[in-house]
Amino acid sequence: MQDAADTTDQPRRDISRYAVPLGIIAFCAWAYWLSTQFDRVPPILKRGMQPEDFPQLVIGLIIMLSVWLLFRDTSAAPERLTKMVQMTMGLLIGFLLVAEIDLFLGLGLFAGSLAALWGERRFWAVFLVGLITPIAVFFLFDGVFEVRFPRGLLTNLWYG
Amino acid sequence: MDAAILNGLLALADPHLLMLIFVATLGGVLVGALPGLNATTGVALLLPFTITMEPIPAIAILTTIYCAATFAGAITAILINTPGTSASATTCLDGYPLAQRGEAGRALGMAAVSSTIGGIISVVCLMAAAPLMARAAYNFAPPEYFALTVFGLSMLATIGDGSPVKNILSGAFGVLVATVGIDLLTSIERFTFGMNELSEGIPFVPVMIGVFGISELLVQADNLHVERKQVIMKAIKLPSREDYSRVWKTILRSSGIGTFIGILPAEGATVASMIGYNEAKRWSKKPEEFGKGSLEGIAGSEAANNSATGGAMVPTLALGIPGSPTAAVILAGLMVHGLRPGPTMFTEQADFAFAIFWSMMLVNVIFFFIGLWGAKIFARVTLIPIQVLWPIVFIFSIVGAYALEQSMMDVWIAIGSGILGFFMRRHGFSVVPMAIGLILGGMLETRLGQSMVMLDEKWWLMLTRPLSLFFFVLTVLALFGPTIWGRFFKQRSPLKSTGE
Repeated sequence: MQDAADTTDQPRRDISRYAVPLGIIAFCAWAYWLSTQFDRVPPILKRGMQPEDFPQLVIGLIIMLSVWLLFRDTSAAPERLTKMVQMTMGLLIGFLLVAEIDLFLGLGLFAGSLAALWGERRFWAVFLVGLITPIAVFFLFDGVFEVRFPRGLLTNLWYG
Repeated sequence: MDAAILNGLLALADPHLLMLIFVATLGGVLVGALPGLNATTGVALLLPFTITMEPIPAIAILTTIYCAATFAGAITAILINTPGTSASATTCLDGYPLAQRGEAGRALGMAAVSSTIGGIISVVCLMAAAPLMARAAYNFAPPEYFALTVFGLSMLATIGDGSPVKNILSGAFGVLVATVGIDLLTSIERFTFGMNELSEGIPFVPVMIGVFGISELLVQADNLHVERKQVIMKAIKLPSREDYSRVWKTILRSSGIGTFIGILPAEGATVASMIGYNEAKRWSKKPEEFGKGSLEGIAGSEAANNSATGGAMVPTLALGIPGSPTAAVILAGLMVHGLRPGPTMFTEQADFAFAIFWSMMLVNVIFFFIGLWGAKIFARVTLIPIQVLWPIVFIFSIVGAYALEQSMMDVWIAIGSGILGFFMRRHGFSVVPMAIGLILGGMLETRLGQSMVMLDEKWWLMLTRPLSLFFFVLTVLALFGPTIWGRFFKQRSPLKSTGE
């Protein structure tokens, strides 16, 4: 049974083993191309290096190490992402979208939903993390640290 | 220098600062005891709170959190067999068996005493070594600084239990990220995609919050099933005179080991505690007791991990090269406050430097008492459900990321770094080298550029300068030494660390 599972996982392991270094190399190729688009300073004003020299040096090093990983890395592929992690990531993306409407609305919804998603069933606990904490943090930063938060649906109620 | 030592001590006479240090010690112990949080995450999350403060209280708070959280890991290690920080992983081996035998108080007492002695010894070394190191580095020219920074980055290879190649790759990625923004040498924009927010580069603080805080939140999403059960603890009982006579040599040895490991760039408390524990076992008259409840094991591990905190601050303040992952975040804090760690710190800001040293000394004394008499309460903190804890941590992370520049771009950067950090960790890439690479990247490029100007664009002339050559040789040894050593000599017992 164990062997069968291992056999099923083998292609995924192979893909994962090659996907990461190849992904890094592809990213580096893109970054290298971007670096060739930088403005250059005239030779008379040059102070040791052109702006693209250092990034290209680092990109070269990353590519070299990735090639090494491609052929020599034998580490096992990670387990599949669990549903819980996927849903938590989904909530993070949801937070970013709601934060465009109001940062604290996003924080409250995210915190309350995360607590519920992770199995918190006590109402007071969800209430604490979803409502009391964001409000307390807002007044702490607004009043004590004088941070001006972006205007939004809820923050406008305070800022007027 | 004597005046600076005295002025630093006098700075601590401010009751407001003393109160802040006391509260920060409580906060640090809390951070170290909370599941999933460690010194690095705690310092990263608290950094934005210190921005509006004066430099001395701000950095004193960060170093206090560092010292206190490193100690507090032992409380959870002993009482619930879960190290609060990875630096206390070896404390579990003997602390928990002692707690199960009803001797939790004795184990905690030994952890508190060893941590305090280790911490104080390392701060004394810090006070002596940092100015000396700074004086030695005072005449460094850009090529020497460049070579030193390369050496510091090469030490990243041994961070964490991932492969050295992955660690260096992660560090190089951090250096690449540091090139975003206006090039300081030519004033030309790079990788900004026309966004004004990126012209000053990728800010450190949101990235730190993302890779240490938000990525951990995603890791915790997989740990919801972990149950934490606390061992019932009777009254705290300090170790007896017999216990002390058995462990004093171990404490001194581990303090020396921890301080030395801490001084090495990038190596932190985790590596120190492992070596301290191994050496305690090797020198012990009763090695068979290790793993079954040996007080020497606790002393060896705890003295080493706490002494590494002081040691780690030596290169951080004297050279601007972080001695540990947490020291890297503190270095970012120093930069955010406009301070320039390096040789000039002990000539131009000596009072500041010594005030920080004295505050570290003080925190070691405070957590001794907190550790002994507050352990029961802090142990209860570990039982806070992560379903409540992590949403609150997230709120503080996001507001902290936003607060520094009051920009939503920083919130996006924090979340992006968090998701990236999570996937890096999944695939065996430690996020610590990336964070350190980001901090040191700008320095590395500037010094290379200055060296090129100085050497008339002949980079190979760096190898003709004795000190530069020395650091390059050290770099080669740091990168290839373990492989060469492993081929010729049989390894006694492989050490593994989890970073910090």
